[in-house]
Amino acid sequence: MSKITVPIGPQHPLLKEPLAFSLTLEGEHVIESAMRLGYVHRGIERLSQERTYVQNVHLFERVCGICSHIHTTTYCQGVEALLGLEVPPRGLYLRALLCELERIHSHLLWLGVQARNIGFDTIFMYAWRDREIVLDIMEDLSGGRVSHAVNIIGGVRIDLTPEHRDVILGQLDTLETQIETLLDVVENERSFQARTRNIGCLSLEQIRRYCVVGPVARASGLDMDLRRDAPTPPYDRLKFRVPVRYEGDAWARTMVRMLETVESVHLCRQILTTLPDGPTSVRAKRRVPPGEVVSRAEAPRGEVIYYIRSDGSDKPARVKVRTPTLTNLITLPDQLQNISMADVSVVLSGVDLCIACADR
Amino acid sequence: MSRLLTQIYLFEEIFAALQEAFPDAEFVVEDKPVDDTFLKLAPEKVRPAAELLIEKFDIYHLSTITGDDAGDGVRLLYHFWSSYGITLDTLLPYANLRIPTLTDLIPGAAFYEREIQEMLGVTFEGLATPGPMFLPDDWDGSFPLRRDSDKREAK
Repeated sequence: MSKITVPIGPQHPLLKEPLAFSLTLEGEHVIESAMRLGYVHRGIERLSQERTYVQNVHLFERVCGICSHIHTTTYCQGVEALLGLEVPPRGLYLRALLCELERIHSHLLWLGVQARNIGFDTIFMYAWRDREIVLDIMEDLSGGRVSHAVNIIGGVRIDLTPEHRDVILGQLDTLETQIETLLDVVENERSFQARTRNIGCLSLEQIRRYCVVGPVARASGLDMDLRRDAPTPPYDRLKFRVPVRYEGDAWARTMVRMLETVESVHLCRQILTTLPDGPTSVRAKRRVPPGEVVSRAEAPRGEVIYYIRSDGSDKPARVKVRTPTLTNLITLPDQLQNISMADVSVVLSGVDLCIACADR
Repeated sequence: MSRLLTQIYLFEEIFAALQEAFPDAEFVVEDKPVDDTFLKLAPEKVRPAAELLIEKFDIYHLSTITGDDAGDGVRLLYHFWSSYGITLDTLLPYANLRIPTLTDLIPGAAFYEREIQEMLGVTFEGLATPGPMFLPDDWDGSFPLRRDSDKREAK
């Protein structure tokens, strides 16, 4: 049979961000694939060397448009370690609250995209409707729906009144009921399963060799979650489960993400009910003593790692950012091998692509 | 399914094995709340150290590789993770910016190595590079993360 090459991207309705694929097909099946990154490379790592530590908080918020808060959290956590600052517990709890809200937001957004790609528009509509609840909570808390600008070096700039807390707890109850409905559909709906079962399979061995992180790794049986395995406060004081599945296909990834969303709602509730009193931030010096630090955190898509080196001035000498999407992208050629052209969209959205993150 | 859970080793065990295998290496254990243990090695010792972590302790998770133009050469930091961070730290002199690739041991290292090759001009021997990764196709060939690269455009 003759071979044809089908380009997907850099601009394509299937991809929300620019990424180029070149798929070689034999009949209906993909036999080879090549990928090109870099269409949204903004040189953030280099740019950060020209900015002060305080300015960089806002720069790193813009690495990702969905999980913006976790990037500033990881960065601030690293700089605070270099400064030897101790963030007040209330600040840490509010930081974690935003992290969990962002996880719910990210996973619901992803469920909508995935459902849209498999042609299940009802779920897309419901998931994005329910996501509005989270966005409303985040807007009330911080003033921003996507870029919250909540973190500052030394803590957070927001606070919460007891009345506001009760409002959020009510909104979380509504959200939980909606998520349970979505979970039920994903778990039991036949048409959803038909499009996602046994597609884009990755074995545990492949996951480990490719250093994959986050829900993609947990859907293939790699039980790894930095919130539990290397907890930074307040996660060492919170109780939660880490959902793991062993099928390794697109359906397992959906299940892991939805179960995680339920866990995040529980976490938000725990954080709100056990929120300690006190200040939310401490003053930080502008100059950071010389040293280097590796800071890790669990983003909605998996492990984020920041390496920060300081030379004693008010600007970092080097900041390295590794986002989870970059690691997860490397599995795509393996996942695309021998699948039908119609399933390409399920595989591509299954890893939860965030190209701006990967390109930086 | 090959195995459900991977064996978790105590950090002290790994630390002792690394100290025994690389007596000349310098260890920097950080007491900060979030940090890795740094292990300073000569460039030719990085691959044996990675092999030891993989074969003896089953640590495959290479979080990333950081390339850093330190002024006296290019520093490479291999951030491994297994419930705790272990960073292999090496310095390549400007005169000899070459190091063997780890992609045959850890295929996941390919993107990190390609990025460093492109941004800092370090040659990873044995690394397959099918074209540029982040930089444009018509890039002039300079290395944007080097200290001597033109800063005017970055501002």
